[in-house]
Amino acid sequence: MNAGIELDETRPPDIPASGVLGAIQAQLDRLNLVLATVSALAAAAAGAVLTWEVAGRYFFKIPSDWQDELSIFLLIGATFLSAAWVQARRGHVGIDALQHVLPPGADRVRRVVADVVSLAFCAFFCWRCWALLWEAWEDGQTTDSAWGPPLSIPYGLMAVGMSVLVLQLLLQVLAPLANRE
Amino acid sequence: MSQLAIGLLYGGATLAVLFSGIPIAFALGTVATAFMLCFMPAASIGTIAQNVYEEMASITLLTIPLFILKGAAIGKSRAGRDLYAALHAWLYRIPGGLGVAVVVACGLFAAMAGSSAATCSAIGSSGIPEMRRRGYSAGFAAGLVGAGGTLGILLPPSITLILYAVAAEQSLGRVFLAGIGPGVLLTALFAAYAVLRYRREYRDAHSLARRGGARSALIADDRFTMSERLRALPRILPFLLLLLGVMFALYGGIATPSETAGLGAVLALLLIAVVYGAWRLADLQPIFASTIGESGMLMLIIGMSLLYSYVMSYLHISQSAAEWIVSLQLSKWLLFTAIALLVVVLGFFLPPVSIILMTAPIILPPLKAAGFNLVWFGVVMSMIMEMGLIHPPVGLNIFVINKIAPDIGLKDIVLGTLPFVFLMTFAIVLLCIFPEIATYIPDEFFRR
Repeated sequence: MNAGIELDETRPPDIPASGVLGAIQAQLDRLNLVLATVSALAAAAAGAVLTWEVAGRYFFKIPSDWQDELSIFLLIGATFLSAAWVQARRGHVGIDALQHVLPPGADRVRRVVADVVSLAFCAFFCWRCWALLWEAWEDGQTTDSAWGPPLSIPYGLMAVGMSVLVLQLLLQVLAPLANRE
Repeated sequence: MSQLAIGLLYGGATLAVLFSGIPIAFALGTVATAFMLCFMPAASIGTIAQNVYEEMASITLLTIPLFILKGAAIGKSRAGRDLYAALHAWLYRIPGGLGVAVVVACGLFAAMAGSSAATCSAIGSSGIPEMRRRGYSAGFAAGLVGAGGTLGILLPPSITLILYAVAAEQSLGRVFLAGIGPGVLLTALFAAYAVLRYRREYRDAHSLARRGGARSALIADDRFTMSERLRALPRILPFLLLLLGVMFALYGGIATPSETAGLGAVLALLLIAVVYGAWRLADLQPIFASTIGESGMLMLIIGMSLLYSYVMSYLHISQSAAEWIVSLQLSKWLLFTAIALLVVVLGFFLPPVSIILMTAPIILPPLKAAGFNLVWFGVVMSMIMEMGLIHPPVGLNIFVINKIAPDIGLKDIVLGTLPFVFLMTFAIVLLCIFPEIATYIPDEFFRR
């Protein structure tokens, strides 16, 4: 696919490459590519919206009321929707000081534990995002600005992004099993 | 459990989880969630996602992805190379003119891109080979670029300063302006060092040649005709106009900082399309891929750091720690030194964004109580964290240079950056003696 952003970095070895998990990962890669492309477009759109805000106010004396909020939604969306794509490249940085200190066996255990804890936290956070979305949807919550767009939009973007991230983390946790086969 | 015990447990758990290698964002989120579960009312855990959203939904914070986009657009183009080449053509009469050109190019580039790593790789990828071709020693060339790159977190639109302004509740416009004086001071110190070091290397090369040894490229003279110098201008002028235009929009009262970020990103993309013809998908792909990769990682860290400090403040850990520091009644400068050392040590492990968000609630109240100007401190703190970028064990710029100039050994790079660590320490001391270096410009500007 060249309609999106290509994977320009080398893939980490702990991604399922074969079997059922490999097939799921391949589908997830496609989804990640779409979401990363959407995130890139959202970032560019936020730039355009803010540029319009300046130009509109300065040249046409149009008051700015919705631009900041729309930009926030776009950039929150860009952050969460691309989270899994970043994780697939191990782009969420951590402190790897112990990697050079521990013996290889212990380091493998450390890595598995780190992945499992990441997964547990993200799954919990993801669940809370869906609960938040449900609540905002049920109560018809909006932001308190004059424009007042529904809060279910940013909450929904967070929930979807976190769900895909959880799936990506799950596949990475299971990768050692898949790649051993 | 006593406040002190909870605080120590929070700190200890954070260290343990961070060092397990869990990505920083998830590590901070895990610690915060675990403490919410154990020590906070059950209802608070229900609002964790809402907390993160509300903390992140600040238009100032969300300028960060846009400044990253602007930096990526300029960084992935040939602007960096053209910039130092043009500066060299104009500065060649100065001894060590190429080195000075590289430092000044780093400063200007940093002011456009706002990121240290981007500055390092944009200027260094062609600047280092060029300096080496002209006989500069490996460590000298690497040190200049590594140190020049650090100007990225000091000059506006530095992402570090944006976060500081948010965390310390200071005006972003003021904090940005306060970075300019020290940024210029460092640029001048680095350039002066480049001249002195060049003269030493030049003398050594000369005496070697006189003794019949190898004739270093350092001895060869550069010559640029006036027409060559004029021809170098058209490609860099648009970028300098972008730099000045964005500053003018921000401080001329035309645009807010967030609008400036959007405007800057759009203009940078337009400029590289016009000047370098970079408008096709193949050109834009790497720009957006690196933007999404970097900002996605950073924004998630920021969101979770904010959750982390929310929990810290809810459990009164930050307030008690701050009160405890105040109760020690340290003398003003002893307090400053202790805090500076803490930032240095944290800089060994953590990126500047997390250091600021995690420590601000603890260290800023005592500093304020001791009578320090918090705008001034933001700049000094950035400089301290900048040093962390060029000294081991995790100096980010060292690794960037190692990647773009693989023929230079890590040892040479570290030895090359070392003199700059001293220069930066010297600059920080100057800033402590003469705080006006940072505060003069914002004070004058906002006096109007």
